[in-house]
Amino acid sequence: MKTFIKVVESWVPSGDRAVLEFGGALYGEHARFGALSQKLCFGRGEGLPGQAWEAGHPIVLNEFEGSAFRRIAAARAEGLTSGIAVPVFAGDFLTSVLVFFCGDDEAHAGAIELWANDPERSKDMSLVDGYYGTTSEAFEFLSRRTSFRRGHGLPGAAWQSGLPVFIEDLGRGAGFLRGDSAVKVGINRGFAVPCSSRGSCSYVMAFLSALATPIARRVEIWRPEASGERLVRSAGFCETLGSLDAAAREISVDVGQGTIGRPSWTGIPAFSESAAGEPGAAGTSAAEAGLTSLVALPVLHDGRLMATVALYF
Amino acid sequence: MEHFIEVQNVEMTFASKKGSFHALREIDLEIDKGEFVTLIGHSGCGKSTLLNLIAGLLKPSSGVLICDKREIAAPGPERAVVFQNHSLLPWLSCYENVHLAVERVFAATESKAQLKQRSEDALALVGMTHALAKRPHEISGGMKQRVGIARALAMQPKVLLMDEPFGALDALTRARLQDELLKIVAATGSTVVMVTHDVDEAVLLSDRVVMMTNGPAATIGEILRIDLPRPRDRVGLAEDRNYVQCRKAVLDFLYTRQGHVEKAAA
Repeated sequence: MKTFIKVVESWVPSGDRAVLEFGGALYGEHARFGALSQKLCFGRGEGLPGQAWEAGHPIVLNEFEGSAFRRIAAARAEGLTSGIAVPVFAGDFLTSVLVFFCGDDEAHAGAIELWANDPERSKDMSLVDGYYGTTSEAFEFLSRRTSFRRGHGLPGAAWQSGLPVFIEDLGRGAGFLRGDSAVKVGINRGFAVPCSSRGSCSYVMAFLSALATPIARRVEIWRPEASGERLVRSAGFCETLGSLDAAAREISVDVGQGTIGRPSWTGIPAFSESAAGEPGAAGTSAAEAGLTSLVALPVLHDGRLMATVALYF
Repeated sequence: MEHFIEVQNVEMTFASKKGSFHALREIDLEIDKGEFVTLIGHSGCGKSTLLNLIAGLLKPSSGVLICDKREIAAPGPERAVVFQNHSLLPWLSCYENVHLAVERVFAATESKAQLKQRSEDALALVGMTHALAKRPHEISGGMKQRVGIARALAMQPKVLLMDEPFGALDALTRARLQDELLKIVAATGSTVVMVTHDVDEAVLLSDRVVMMTNGPAATIGEILRIDLPRPRDRVGLAEDRNYVQCRKAVLDFLYTRQGHVEKAAA
């Protein structure tokens, strides 16, 4: 199964915090791009990770040519055409920069959108930029002209709650305000994640997924328990097994344990090429669905872990 | 950034025999000079309440409304209102209805000839020169509404507030008046806030469509920017892909996302 996200990589500050170094990745079939990337490091403002570090907020790069992106030829050779860099801040402290790459092959339907609110300028959350693959121009047209109030629409819901929001069926989900247009262009699932940033602006990344090219093969949201000792899977959807209803089957991992538990301690995304090897029910469930790899992304607010998002491939 | 009209954190609660009714919550809206904004939503969502707050006809339970850097504390000639019901005085002619408003605003600063000219110009702007001497009962509903608009425009308001101004008119008259309004607004550069139920009207006329959630405790849910080029031609727009998309987005909000009012009524 092809996924909308082709590559995920993480860049972490070096010991002296002078540059960003390779911190892990899932390159999938893009091994040559991975082999090149792992040797690189980025200063502040350099390349896509360095630019996100300097800007202090997520950046969407739709066009590599003529940009600060440093791996243009390698990306072109691998069919990677756009990148989204998301800095992860624990308070003001940058823990890492996460970079997603998408391609432009024919069936690449779906979208990744970056929404932002500047409280000094507006009460609305508006689109900063987005990557729409081969998704209909009409959907992009509306996204670029729509703004949401806190609590409304997919970005507004994530903004208000400070938590990841997942909508399994956009056609039926009353919270998705562009549902009609989305369903018509084949987008059926929506997933929004609040992003930490430097400064007072709020950012939300929205992932909109089509049936043929889901954002990932499985999306899970894990929430820390009040005790702070465990993470419990609160929601999720698997393209193979369907809805992962938390009420039907509670799955948890200890903080610090496995790929999903690790970001709770480090604040840094964690990667695994062996999803089935995850401890406990998480690994069993991944094996059952034939999932091979995963990345666990911490969702931080003011230095506190709000949730961990696991994307499986 | 300063805006011409600012609605800041406004709440509106009405006292009633059954207790208090929370009509509007957390309303924040900024409108720039020369902008045409429509408020759209289902019946009871508080759009007219919001318009009346901007007009100064109501005072908010909390929050602040500002127009041209001054707090809105009462109605004023810089904010003219056109209601769905034309509200013309039946015993006065069209000219006299307009002239009455003109006198109230400009009598202290202008000569009688200037006042007369101003009244006639306003009626000419809406194509009602031929009916200066007629009384409201002698003209059609569309004409009455045009006189109402002329009366509002004659006061040279900074803001034109319109509460479903074409709601009671037949489709053809409504379309003609919408086209006239587009021309008038283009000529005067007026800032307009209009309440409407009509999706086509909202998309055709507006720079932004403000979509309100269902009441009680209604608020602004979504705002759609309509950056279709002006002047807008309704016939040409009917097949314009971007116009159709905007129209669908508003319909989607009203009838899919906020459709429970209709479902409950059915």
